[in-house]
Amino acid sequence: MDALTAAAASGIQARMQSLDILANNLANASSAGFKADAESYGLYYSSESPDAPSDGVTTTLPLLKTQWTDFSQGTLLPTSNSTDLALNGKGFFVVTTPSGPLYTRNGSFRLSGQGRLQTQDGYALQDSEGRPIVLDVSQTFEVAVDGSVQQGGQQVSQIAVVDFEDPTVLAKRGGNYFRSTISKAPTAAAQLDIRQGKLESGNSESSQSAARLTSILRQFESLQKAMTIGADMNRRVVEDVAKVS
Amino acid sequence: MGIRALYTAASGMNAQQMNIDNIANNLANSTTNGFKMRRAQFQDLLYQTHIQPGAAAGAQTIVPSGLQIGLGTRPASNEIIFAQGSLTETDNPLDLAIQGNGFFQVLQPNGQLAYSRDGGFQLDKNGNIVDSSGNLIQPQITIPSQAQSITIAADGTVTYTQPGQTASQVAGQIQLALFPNPAGMNSIGGNLFEPTDASGNPTVANPGGQEGLGTLMQGYVEGSNVSVVEEFINMIVSQRAYEANSKVVKAADEMYQQINNVTQ
Repeated sequence: MDALTAAAASGIQARMQSLDILANNLANASSAGFKADAESYGLYYSSESPDAPSDGVTTTLPLLKTQWTDFSQGTLLPTSNSTDLALNGKGFFVVTTPSGPLYTRNGSFRLSGQGRLQTQDGYALQDSEGRPIVLDVSQTFEVAVDGSVQQGGQQVSQIAVVDFEDPTVLAKRGGNYFRSTISKAPTAAAQLDIRQGKLESGNSESSQSAARLTSILRQFESLQKAMTIGADMNRRVVEDVAKVS
Repeated sequence: MGIRALYTAASGMNAQQMNIDNIANNLANSTTNGFKMRRAQFQDLLYQTHIQPGAAAGAQTIVPSGLQIGLGTRPASNEIIFAQGSLTETDNPLDLAIQGNGFFQVLQPNGQLAYSRDGGFQLDKNGNIVDSSGNLIQPQITIPSQAQSITIAADGTVTYTQPGQTASQVAGQIQLALFPNPAGMNSIGGNLFEPTDASGNPTVANPGGQEGLGTLMQGYVEGSNVSVVEEFINMIVSQRAYEANSKVVKAADEMYQQINNVTQ
């Protein structure tokens, strides 16, 4: 394949992956605590370009290089449900799973039959000591802004909220959970702001998504044009230039 | 690759469809006594990892963040929201509203106990207090046919007076059931709930006691806790989200069409 067709083809492939990421953001617009993904492309350098790295790097093609997660705050929606907790600001709730701790910003918790505070999937929410939070079900409970859980005016537990220095070490695990890809334990979040009776909605902006959708489509179209031109040039080379009249 | 975006968008459309189904049921029951709304919850699906975050990119460097592409969404649950519904005055002596936590217990014809917040009670032909479907309230309370005024106290004590007598007679005491996790109960229709493993075992006690149960109000019924305005807003959001997902389907389709045209 010639350079033009190859570059256009890899660009087309990258735009299709962009569409995959966008589709996932839009599909999860109603997932509580969902964080949208965005992508960045590897740069295309031709070997003649003055900007090309001088260390003899060969031509690279514009492939989708990495995706990053936008950890910006989602909107807090009131639910008037006392087991719904929303994090305002940085940090993650920690839940215990059979395969180790997972992190989430989806604060849609519920009480188990034994009064344990847990996620929809039955994973226990951890307190600051890493233990499950077990409540007396006959009483109401209040969660203060600093994460302390109170029943009947007494503090019974403290919800753990952790933060990662570098949130890019988090990988998505599905089910609105994140897992850490490093062994270093996260630190307790510096500033806590927990809101009881609220849920954080997903942070994928629909207006932004609509603009991205249009841009992906148009870029795709341009690349497809480029590819057609490349194919046309190749055809002319074969059919016209080489013609002996 | 490729077809992923189509299925991802389809999963989003499915999820919004389920959201609308849920909203429709909430709205349809906005005037059902004792009805508790449900709220649909969604989760993201699995991610396809193309490049592992933290993987080695070279001798000294690691990939700062990987390439993970999500595969859509799925409905995770629609939990029951047990917020208190509004209380409406009816002046019917057998209408009861629970102010606070707890459920009335009724005995179904199959011998199983069911639980309800619908306090529109009546008397059957034998003078037993029954719910609107004819299920007996538990513990069973019988009012003699000649009884005149029936009074139900905040703690559930049912008293009545007989003609020509001034002293009132006690017919029994209504008890309420408290569940550790009422959101885990099963709706079985007819405003009734059944306990599950997730809801835990009920504590049965007198209303207003130390167990944390609510008190009874005679002459009131608890309306549904559906907020029509909120449901309409949810409906608009859901409809727009559905539309956005269908736009992705269209975009993916256009892209495939163009790919097919490349070779022409």
